Amino acid sequence: MAEQTVQFKVFRYKQGERPSYQTYTVRVDPRTTVLRALEQIRQEQDGTLAFRHSCFHASCGTCGMKVNGQEVLACVTNVLELGTPVVVVEPLDNAPLITDLVVDMGDFYARYQPAGMPMIRESEFLPDSQVPEGVEHHMRLENCIECGLCLSACPVAGSDPLYLGPAALAAAWRMVEEPRGRDPATVLAWVDHEHGCWRCHAAFECSEVCPSNVDPAGAIMALRRELTRRKIGQLFGRR
Amino acid sequence: MERGQQGTRGGWLWLLQALSGLLLVLLLALHIVANHFIVEGGLRTYQDVVAYLSNPLVFVLEVLFLLTVTLHAGLGVRSVLLDLGLSPTAERRVNLVLTLLGIVAVAYGVWLSLMIQGRA
Amino acid sequence: MVQERQTYGLIRRKGAWSWLDVRGRRLGAWAFALNRLTGLGLVLYLVIHLLVLSLLTQGESRWNDFIALAKSPAFLFLDVVLFFGLLFHGLNGIRVALVGMGLGVERHKTLFWVLMTIGAVLLLLSAWKVFSSPAT
Ligand code: SF4
Ligand code: SF4
Ligand code: FES
Repeated sequence: MAEQTVQFKVFRYKQGERPSYQTYTVRVDPRTTVLRALEQIRQEQDGTLAFRHSCFHASCGTCGMKVNGQEVLACVTNVLELGTPVVVVEPLDNAPLITDLVVDMGDFYARYQPAGMPMIRESEFLPDSQVPEGVEHHMRLENCIECGLCLSACPVAGSDPLYLGPAALAAAWRMVEEPRGRDPATVLAWVDHEHGCWRCHAAFECSEVCPSNVDPAGAIMALRRELTRRKIGQLFGRR
Repeated sequence: MERGQQGTRGGWLWLLQALSGLLLVLLLALHIVANHFIVEGGLRTYQDVVAYLSNPLVFVLEVLFLLTVTLHAGLGVRSVLLDLGLSPTAERRVNLVLTLLGIVAVAYGVWLSLMIQGRA
Repeated sequence: MVQERQTYGLIRRKGAWSWLDVRGRRLGAWAFALNRLTGLGLVLYLVIHLLVLSLLTQGESRWNDFIALAKSPAFLFLDVVLFFGLLFHGLNGIRVALVGMGLGVERHKTLFWVLMTIGAVLLLLSAWKVFSSPAT
């Protein structure tokens, strides 16, 4: 196979030390992904390089990072297709750094709970399951693989640490859209404030980077439509 | 779980910003066409301005325009300032200062129009 | 669920200017940044515009002097810049308002380009209008 050498400029950080970039030269073939290349670096050149991964096929969401400034899943990002002689690898933005390419996703994950994310899939795939009233087709929130790419790409999350963020808001909309017997009012109240769905400036970056077609921006706009509807209803004394 | 101190105000403010913006598109088009496009030479001479503003309908429209534009500008500046990561106290100050500035701008504009009308 | 939270030294966050940093970003972020820049520019213009109008209280000759100045080519060029700001902010604003209320979300990019095309035509028309008005 046509092998090639590519330079990897990797963000390095150990707690208490100053962050820096370290460059490694890696031999890649046309099938090498960024994640494989990082593994190669760790195995052959530098055992101290830390990064996260699990599934290798875009379904666990743990290998999110910035490659050449773009939020991607490293496991499905082909090195040669990037087409740059130097590949810059950095951790996600807007989340606390633990080390190297690893960020703390604790706050990010924690926000799925108040969003009422339906963690358990119900009977929607059984052949005799019925589509609930008002739902045209099943779109699973479970689409979201909790990778955090959207949060890193969002310009609002970049300035407002309290912003709930695209993924949590998408989860909230999913719950409102299909409450499965629960009351959407609590979730709507959770997003209806200046660090919630109203803070978004409709930049659609989240939907652009989302590897799993969750379309968080669309969900945020849907939440606002729903809230606007309710507010206007309130104005005219409906409840 | 953290959440905004502001309760549900954000939604109303956003709605106000959007609606004032849409209204402005209309009012501004009117303002520009009336002041610059149907006027010979694109700008009014002193006499023209005085005569123009003495029309009560024009006066009402221009004041409405001023109100809307001030509201929209104030909300817009506020949203840029919020991105500085303000503390709740700083945010309250921003709100206060912007409100005062808005009131001053509108009062000044109305005063100016009345002054000019008085010269007819 | 109790969560053990640890504070780490570092967080990569762009901060207050994150909205302006469009490196590597796409259409939506560019539109957002440009919307804010034109917005801030228009606020500045509004202030200047209101102050200039106070010349009207200082009598006829002061105002007419200003009108003469405002017809110089440099001023007319600034008028075209102003029109650009107004058209971009206004037309993009229509999109943001509609999309933000949940209308046309799936087609926000088409909407953007349609509005921008209208904007470009109106900008050319207004530039033509500004420069062709007779210098009195
Ligand atoms: S659409 Fe909203 S949530 Fe998504 S990236 Fe833009 S500002 Fe962030
Ligand atoms: S919404 Fe998309 S980008 Fe965001 S965490 Fe879920 S899968 Fe990742
Ligand atoms: S390793 Fe699981 S998504 Fe990349």
